Amino acid sequence: MARKPLVLGIDAGGTMTDTFVVDENGDFTVGKAATTPHDESVGFLESAADAMSYWDGDGRSLYPELEVALYSGTTMVNTLITRRGRKVGLITTKGFEDDVLMGRGMQSWTGYSYSDRIHAVTHVHPSALVDRRHVHGVTERVDVFGEAVIPLYEHEVEAAAEELLADGVEAIVVHFLYSYLNPEHEQRARAILAAAIARSRRGGDVPVYLGSDLRPVIRENSRLNAALIEAYAVAPVRTQLEKVERAVQSRGYRYPLQTVLAYGGLCNIRYPRLHETLISGPVGGVMGAKHLSALTGIDNIIVTDLGGTSFDIGTITAGYVPVEPEPVLARFKLNLPTIAMENIGAGAGSYVKVDPVTKKVQIGPESAGSTPGPVSFGKGGTTVTITDCDLVLGYLNPDYFLGGKQKLDKELALRALKEQVTEQIGVDVYAGAEAIVRMMEREARDAIRAVASARGLDTTQYTLFGYGGAGPLHLAGYTEGLDFGGVLTFHFAAAFSAFGCTTADYQHRYARSVHLGLPPGCDAPAKLAVAEAVSRVWSEMEEAARAEMANEIAVAREIRFTQLAMVRYGGQLSDLEAVSPAPRLRTAADVDRLIAAWEDLYSKINSRVARYEGAGYQIFELGLLASVEKVKPRIVRQPLGPAEPARAAHKGTRNMYWKGRWQPASLWEMEMLRPGNRIAGPAIVEHPATTLVVPDGKCVEVDEWNFFWLR
Amino acid sequence: MEKAIQTTAEAAPERRGCGPEGRTLLAALRHDRELLEQTGHYHGISDLRLKAENYLHYESLHARLRSAVVNARETSKKISASPGVREVGESVVALYTPEGDSVVLSTGIMVHVHTLSRFIQWMIERDYESDPGIAHGDVFANNDPFVSDVHPPDLMNVTPIFHGRELIGWVGAVAHELEIGGVYGGANQTTTAERFGQGMIVSAEKVAANDVIRRDFFVRAEMNLRTPVYFVLDEKAMVSACIDVREKVLEAVEQYGLDYYKRAIREIIEEGRRAHLQRMKMLTVPGRYRSVAHAGHLFEGKVGASPLSRNCIVQVPLEMTIDRGGFMTIDYEGAGRKMWNPYNCPPAAMDGGFFVTLTQFIDFDGKVNDGCWFATRMICPPGSWCNPGDDMTATSSAWGSLMPGFGSLQRMISRSFLARGFREEVFLGQVNTPIIEGGGINQYGQRFGGQNLECSSEGSGARGIMDGIDCGYVGWNPESDMGNVEIWEMILPILYLGRRIWRDSPGAGKYRAGATYSTLLMIHKTPLYNIVSTIHSDKVFDNQGMCGGYPGPTAKFEYVSRDTDLAERIARREPLPHVEGDPRRPDISTRVGGDFRVVDGVFLERPLRSGDLFQFFYNTGGGYGDPIERDPEAVRRDLDNGIQSIEIAESVYRVAARFDAAAKRHAVDEQATRKLRAECREERGRRAVPTRQWMARQRERLLRHDLGREVKEMYNDVFGFSERWSREYREFWSLPDDFVFTV
Repeated sequence: MARKPLVLGIDAGGTMTDTFVVDENGDFTVGKAATTPHDESVGFLESAADAMSYWDGDGRSLYPELEVALYSGTTMVNTLITRRGRKVGLITTKGFEDDVLMGRGMQSWTGYSYSDRIHAVTHVHPSALVDRRHVHGVTERVDVFGEAVIPLYEHEVEAAAEELLADGVEAIVVHFLYSYLNPEHEQRARAILAAAIARSRRGGDVPVYLGSDLRPVIRENSRLNAALIEAYAVAPVRTQLEKVERAVQSRGYRYPLQTVLAYGGLCNIRYPRLHETLISGPVGGVMGAKHLSALTGIDNIIVTDLGGTSFDIGTITAGYVPVEPEPVLARFKLNLPTIAMENIGAGAGSYVKVDPVTKKVQIGPESAGSTPGPVSFGKGGTTVTITDCDLVLGYLNPDYFLGGKQKLDKELALRALKEQVTEQIGVDVYAGAEAIVRMMEREARDAIRAVASARGLDTTQYTLFGYGGAGPLHLAGYTEGLDFGGVLTFHFAAAFSAFGCTTADYQHRYARSVHLGLPPGCDAPAKLAVAEAVSRVWSEMEEAARAEMANEIAVAREIRFTQLAMVRYGGQLSDLEAVSPAPRLRTAADVDRLIAAWEDLYSKINSRVARYEGAGYQIFELGLLASVEKVKPRIVRQPLGPAEPARAAHKGTRNMYWKGRWQPASLWEMEMLRPGNRIAGPAIVEHPATTLVVPDGKCVEVDEWNFFWLR
Repeated sequence: MEKAIQTTAEAAPERRGCGPEGRTLLAALRHDRELLEQTGHYHGISDLRLKAENYLHYESLHARLRSAVVNARETSKKISASPGVREVGESVVALYTPEGDSVVLSTGIMVHVHTLSRFIQWMIERDYESDPGIAHGDVFANNDPFVSDVHPPDLMNVTPIFHGRELIGWVGAVAHELEIGGVYGGANQTTTAERFGQGMIVSAEKVAANDVIRRDFFVRAEMNLRTPVYFVLDEKAMVSACIDVREKVLEAVEQYGLDYYKRAIREIIEEGRRAHLQRMKMLTVPGRYRSVAHAGHLFEGKVGASPLSRNCIVQVPLEMTIDRGGFMTIDYEGAGRKMWNPYNCPPAAMDGGFFVTLTQFIDFDGKVNDGCWFATRMICPPGSWCNPGDDMTATSSAWGSLMPGFGSLQRMISRSFLARGFREEVFLGQVNTPIIEGGGINQYGQRFGGQNLECSSEGSGARGIMDGIDCGYVGWNPESDMGNVEIWEMILPILYLGRRIWRDSPGAGKYRAGATYSTLLMIHKTPLYNIVSTIHSDKVFDNQGMCGGYPGPTAKFEYVSRDTDLAERIARREPLPHVEGDPRRPDISTRVGGDFRVVDGVFLERPLRSGDLFQFFYNTGGGYGDPIERDPEAVRRDLDNGIQSIEIAESVYRVAARFDAAAKRHAVDEQATRKLRAECREERGRRAVPTRQWMARQRERLLRHDLGREVKEMYNDVFGFSERWSREYREFWSLPDDFVFTV
């Protein structure tokens, strides 16, 4: 049967590149290939070809038909980590030239494990993205009220520009204190730079970035990091993205390539703030879950993604995805709103090591990646990984990993496991392997608990989605003892993030700093003034969004807006983002309703003693989400069939080790299960790209969407 | 000093109590300590039964409890109004046994994990169980140093965890307040000579019932503080964290079972104790180690100083003994008498300093808790500055003595690591931390008080295999940070003209200390800002290098310029001061006209106002190894980054370097460098004399009483106070038995 693929989503993770292809009937197929950091288009094409091979097609038949191709990758993170970005110049407020070396002290330990955060001798600053000699201070100062206390010394900007251009910098960042309140000095500096660049006959090839353009919010260090990352790492990403775009377009794809923003949503790869795509990968999963939420009516979800290198967790409450305003990425503190994801460095490829003194077993955070991979890949990996344990315990089929494309060597895994781990701690190799797997699952479980608790969620009201290549295998383990409304996985679990990317809408997020206050007991006119100010900013942001999106999206569709307000009690230093119940605030009562919505959320997260109505309220930032719908995969509801799966789906039995004993598990082919089917554990359900383990006492049921409920 | 239990209550009452097995908490605490005494094991636990039976189950409870405290701290930060808590992480949350021993703790100001422990035990010993009573939903607050605290800005809260009628534990949280009342706005109150000028003191009070904080407690805060919003929201944040952890613990008890929980938390502590001993055995060499550090303070003649406070040098001697079993004893014998200034340390402060050092150096992994506490002993001579035994003593700047004291301990532990071959663990971490504080009228026209806690991220001392941490370390909180200028300017009437690396600040060595920074402030939009500084060490070394490394900076000073012509210079677009420049002619004295002064030591001067300039310098520690062995390329890089000057590169590192204007980089002349270094070695050889000869000369100097006044006063103070130390000193220098200095 000839298929017509419409949407192609690709997610290049740290280990594997996953593909999700959707056809016009909403059918889809998934593919996998090793990530190729040197040229991501290679992994992209291989992964896509792998996906198409399940439809008896190849890459060539894919591209001409496609309406959307989108890609989220790791180039930016890699560029940052390996420090292979552009030669950047920085013009900053005089007296702050050393910020690139001093950073914030916290950057010398943030992202470390609990132990290393305490063990201070290990602390090291990330190396600077800009050479200190390319930092020029210019005299100017704007104060906390936005007032220019010291005017910009324009002659100093001119001198700095000449020198930077003579030094051959490839991009220039202008970053002044409080520019988010008053951007005039930065803008003036840009004009001076533009003239200097023109004079230098380098034409327009030295882009200039302003802190106030890229991220107009408080905290200068985070604003500087965002601007530097944009200037430093975005060019290589664009190069990679353009390479991928050329690769697909040369194969017949007719449209621009899309990529994914850290706060969800798609943008064209020519988007002006591409640093916002820094951690796009894991975000795909949350978007996918959000899509399924709208489809199925499950609106409280905890998403969990267990891949090769990490375990990522996100949440959706009442259909709404929370955003982390100040994430740390590649060890830089940012104030880039990012879909709040927590992660721990534990995945199927995580290394398992035993401390020689304490005999403590340590899992991760380092992992094997796709090269050399686990010991059992036989590609030179020598350190035991979780995958090796999974193989030894009979969960993985040595001949059906990646559909048989990667043979697994059980003997190799067994030997390494004994030597490196179980003989060290003096336990039986199988008991030891299981203990390690359970330990990793427990860490994952604790991480889920921690997220639920930090966000104030009652897990019984939530459905857990488990995906990622290794998700279904460990799902029963890492959800054990957690009380969820339901536990769900998917036959496309291995490419769920890529799927998620294909479900996203075009979405941009805007933020603006304001200074609005509602002192305790303030009267209606005061509230009305706040209402007017808020509404005015929202209107302006909507205008800006319309203009920007019109430039990016060929087809004009209706833009949907969600208005946000970041509210805090008077004096607090953190705010919390509330969705406005109304698109505009017109009356004092509207203001009260917005505050009530915020206080509701605040009280869910903190205990009631934390409320402080007596301090009044402040709003220092307003936000806007602007989204435009696009073509999405269709997931079709089907009538439920019999509980008994088709005979052909049954592949035999295999012994698996569970809770200290070997037990025969029935073996099934996932692609051949149908809505209504029910399989009791112990069972193993195999898919070329993933494996679902159903322990004794549990069962899996396929629902009308063809989703798998682990009960 | 007794650190375990100070018997102040009557014999343990024999009534039924809310503690384990129906004991009163006091009886339970005594019982627990007896078990420790008799068996050598925490709670008498000789076998880690739960761990042995089901390692994973046991570990999972530990992980769950620890993530509860870590997450509660993160969540509570976002309630705070104070950049202390929100920006630079000045808080900690921990879980305790019914007897008040810590089981798990968050990161943050870990110095307070043991002060909370002491606070809980203080209440137990005074039978709070009967009066005022302890019930579910109660919260007890304290910032009284002599109940248990370092100094009054550290506000602590604890709440009991009840399972039915049995108290099964406590949760505690501490936040450092930026303003706690007192003589001037701020927290460390360097002008006070007694308890009474330190600000608002809450002495082990019940401040909440049924999870509701009493309104009158906030009324007190609002009436006694200049900027009460910090206190009120921090208090809410801490209590919120305590309640959060309590609920998580009760959920865990529900799941694991009460008996399991009660046994497990004690096994976790016993495991911590054993791991500590095991690590000590592995990482250190048994023996006796000695060190001394000093801190100097200049008060006399300053307009804001207390008339009771004199210029002085604090002697901080330290002896560390490690036995073959890994048991560590530290002894401050030789410390001088308690002082009429705020640099005294109450017992809890010493506990805290010890604990935060152990956790950073030995006990950072596995079961981090009070276990290590039971494998160590600390002796602080009664009546000395480190154990005043007098509740009226001022301790608001206790850190000024703690940091030299525990910096010495870090150095000695490092020596021991080195002796054992663990050079990569060598870390000359902490040094004194000068702080800017004060109050007046802020940029919003309101009266205010507060600290600028950017000091929480100075340079560290060097490491055994690499340079120290640049602008990123402070001893009391390994999660060090300085926060954003845009936040400090929001709460203080200041406009930064610069916050930059202080050139030549790091203690020199083959591996230098971390660079630190200086801050140049223009006082902004205020008619009155009474800036005060604290936690200095003036005129003497408060730290040392190791293996030939030099100490960090010694002379602490401020630059101030009043009635400046800044506005005129700005109008003419003239260059302004941003950094120190040439220390012999600092930029602040040449690039701006005004009444310029250098102030030595603490800043206790007339208040400042808009347009005045104030420049402040943070601290950093000592270097490791001989500076002339430093890789010339590292020196070159430091020159490029403005961390070092050419002058110091040549005179200290003996590296011949110049700035290559064309390449815009520094260049090293390798041949000239080799020559400089060879000459240096020769010169050292020429200068060297046999030790006996040198000692004889020094002895003559002592006999001539040829020392500074403050030095002689320091020694005389100890002569009349510590017999043991005086005897050793006089024996060492072969001085008469009754030798004292003539001042």
